[in-house]
Amino acid sequence: MGCSTSSPAKSNGSFDERGASDSKTMRIKLVLLGDSGVGKSCIVLRFVRGQFDPSSKVTVGASFLSQTIALQDSTTVKFEIWDTAGQERYASLAPLYYRGAGAAVVVYDITSPESFQKAQYWVKELQKFGSPDIVMALVGNKSDLHASRKVTVEEAQEYADSNGMFFIETSAKTADNINQLFEEIGKRLPRPATTQKS
Amino acid sequence: MRESDPSDKELNSENNDLQTENPGSQDVSFAYQQTFDAKQADDGPCSLPSHLSEKELDNNGSSTCDNGVNIESADAQREATGLTTFEFPVPEEGPQTYVKKVKSELEGASDGNQTEYNSDGIEEPDPGDTNANAEHRECSPRVANAQFNSQDKSDPKGNEILEQRDTVVNRSLTAFSSTCNIEPVESSIIRVQSAVENGNMEGHRPYADSEGKIASLSAVDGVAASSNGRESFEEIEVVDSGLVKNGGLLKRDLFLEKQHQSEDDSSESWRKHKKHFFILSHAGKPIYSRYGDEHKLAGFAATLQAIMSFVENGGDRINYVRSGDHQVVFLVKGPVYLVSISSTNEPLRVLRRQLDLLHGQLLLILTRSLEKCFVKNANFDLRPLLGGTENVFSSLIHSFSWNFASFLSSYTCLPLSHTARQAAGAALQDIADKNLLFALLLSDSKVISLVGAQKASLHPDDIFLLSNFVSSSESFRNTESFSPICLPKYNSMTFLYAYIRYLDPDICLILITKNSDAFFHLKDCRARIEGFLMETHVLRDISNSVARGGLRVEELPGGDVSYTSAPRSRRMGDTKDSTITVKLKAGVGGTAGLWHFIYRCVYLDQYVASEFSSPLETPQAKKRLFRAYQSLYASIHGAPTGAHQMQYRRDGNFVLLAWSTSDFEFLAAFDPLAEKSSSITVCNRVCQWVRDMENDLFFIGGSPFNW
Ligand SMILES: Nc1nc2c(ncn2[C@@H]2O[C@H](COP(=O)(O)OP(=O)(O)OP(=O)(O)O)[C@@H](O)[C@H]2O)c(=O)[nH]1
Ligand SMILES: [Mg+2]
Repeated sequence: MGCSTSSPAKSNGSFDERGASDSKTMRIKLVLLGDSGVGKSCIVLRFVRGQFDPSSKVTVGASFLSQTIALQDSTTVKFEIWDTAGQERYASLAPLYYRGAGAAVVVYDITSPESFQKAQYWVKELQKFGSPDIVMALVGNKSDLHASRKVTVEEAQEYADSNGMFFIETSAKTADNINQLFEEIGKRLPRPATTQKS
Repeated sequence: MRESDPSDKELNSENNDLQTENPGSQDVSFAYQQTFDAKQADDGPCSLPSHLSEKELDNNGSSTCDNGVNIESADAQREATGLTTFEFPVPEEGPQTYVKKVKSELEGASDGNQTEYNSDGIEEPDPGDTNANAEHRECSPRVANAQFNSQDKSDPKGNEILEQRDTVVNRSLTAFSSTCNIEPVESSIIRVQSAVENGNMEGHRPYADSEGKIASLSAVDGVAASSNGRESFEEIEVVDSGLVKNGGLLKRDLFLEKQHQSEDDSSESWRKHKKHFFILSHAGKPIYSRYGDEHKLAGFAATLQAIMSFVENGGDRINYVRSGDHQVVFLVKGPVYLVSISSTNEPLRVLRRQLDLLHGQLLLILTRSLEKCFVKNANFDLRPLLGGTENVFSSLIHSFSWNFASFLSSYTCLPLSHTARQAAGAALQDIADKNLLFALLLSDSKVISLVGAQKASLHPDDIFLLSNFVSSSESFRNTESFSPICLPKYNSMTFLYAYIRYLDPDICLILITKNSDAFFHLKDCRARIEGFLMETHVLRDISNSVARGGLRVEELPGGDVSYTSAPRSRRMGDTKDSTITVKLKAGVGGTAGLWHFIYRCVYLDQYVASEFSSPLETPQAKKRLFRAYQSLYASIHGAPTGAHQMQYRRDGNFVLLAWSTSDFEFLAAFDPLAEKSSSITVCNRVCQWVRDMENDLFFIGGSPFNW
């Protein structure tokens, strides 16, 4: 209750099904950004539900989903995911979703140089306005479409390196690297014992 | 459309039309009109208060048949009159000031007040109205024979200006009509609201008050009158087949897809669509087109813009152009121009309302701050800001031919037992706090329950546009979403935020807040509401009601009238059986076979309609009835509130009955063989039954207007 706010810590009661008492549980707000049609929703649905719907519909506003995974070191991470709409008219709303986010996934489509440009725009915006310790991932999606690739691994890797992000290519269609993406983010998150609580 | 060619029939597209989809309906339609007119004359004193009769007769003109220039003109005149009250409030100040007024009016055009949607027709008839009509009637014969009729021969200067303008307008229209390939413009009626004329008419019509000074500029060729009968039921024909490109385009069946994307104004198929909608900017940039790719239609949009802004530069506004059986309707909303081109023969006020709703949908997505973009840059391209919204618009336009809310400006409820609806309302009420502006529980466009914060009221048109937006955006179905929206009637300037979650595939919860940070709070609220609805089994009741479907006339409690005996439980599959039954009824006992009805409760702003059941199950039959209701409703709606009136129309397809009182409006369709007296008995009985069932059929306890 009360008038506010999206403090993730008090959002949704039931997260501790997995929370065995000895393992550390982290709750993390994750935001996906990127041009419309690059496959953000497909990535999330693949990760959360294990599905791929090729007729995936353009996102309106933003969708909220959550998924919990266990890492190798027996840490449990609950991702509270904002899948934002890539349509231009929603760009100004993005701060609503990346504010307070512990992780940001910036997605482009490897067959579309424009979407790679757009990804760089989002990276800049996050650097300016996102949390300072935000974990950022650059994701080249639709790796199954390598025949029509327009953005090379090298240039993306180079861009990611120079901006302190990690880079991965995924395919929501084949599920390639989807779990790896989120596991890697989980690994890179600052551990709660050593840093902030929520 | 070549009427005899059945292959032109198509589901789910505007390609079908009342008049043309049905071979032979042309004659029927004439007969229909005549019967109706005769009725009007017969029943004159009892059905029409005498001071109204003139207006009513005009209304007839607005219905399905137009075999003469007179009727069109009268119709147009009346429409223009209705509009004038809103758009030209201060004409006596002369053209110059007047232009400014119009402009400022434009600026403030759509700030969400009701006058706008209601402007055409609900006003009390004023002396100006009547005068205008009378005058027009007088000059109609002239209209039919002369090229221009500037109404007031005694002011040569005004005429000159007008004629000059008309010539130019005509020229652009000729260009325009050859682009969109409607009939030559010489045979069309152009209706322009004219400042100059208003000024002129002032001195000559001492009784006209400021509301009554409409301008009527008619450019009619004698050819029009003579060719009208021949042409009025033809579809667009491609004159120059050399222009045809893109012949084998892909047609997608789903209306939800952007249709006919590959077409442009040179495609034959593009020209054949029965109903086009365009949105463009005042600089002529395309914003939306129902068919075809906006990019490719840039030239066409520029032509439309040229016509509109030319007239506007004269301080006037173009309202509509009629050419053969095509109507081109224009609506200016600040820097946004909306145009429909149709050959569906819908009344002008209906078409205008559709444009208004289209504009409302645009605002719902972008708010009126979109106008700021054009202030900064007149050539601003709005399309990128509308990316991914094609479905929203196409589904809205589709609903113009099936959803009664589109012309009733009311909402309808999912039938539900009173206790279940109360429980649902209590669940929504329970979470009401300062964060929450509105909470709606919807099943498609049907309201299950709704609550609003103190003093906040939800307009039926906002419900209509919101439910269309939500149900046509597939992405809401699977996950919980948080989206900015604008409710144009509530406040067209600001974004609100909607938390949207389907509780099951048919039940959608929408929680609306002003607070952009309220998502997690609303998410908690949803969990509480959902929990409560599950525990109390209300969710199950709702699902059952959705599965059962709406009211069926066969299930109405019977009486001695023959249309049914006992309530029968029917499932979807029963159609064959029921067709036979109905036929038997029609042929044998059939005096009053009720096929369909709509009951609109005026003070609740809600309506209830029966399902389309046999023999109205084919898409053609549904659309035919829908359109017939539409024009019937448009014609009864000119009456001042409080007037009782009943209308009775008969044609080969059905008998239509409209009954309007200050408390309710009732529309019904009967078997064409039904007798008038027994139909009226049935109407009375159905209305009584609806009132008896009011608690289950309507959402009582909170009209959106009086919390
Ligand atoms: N071949 C291939 N297609 C994909 C992949 N991921 C997504 N797509 C397709 O890309 C299209 C867009 O995917 P979405 O997930 O809806 O795109 P989005 O980024 O969410 O777009 P917005 O919601 O508008 O921002 C869909 O038609 C998918 O079928 C992929 O990995 N491979
Ligand atoms: Mg998406």
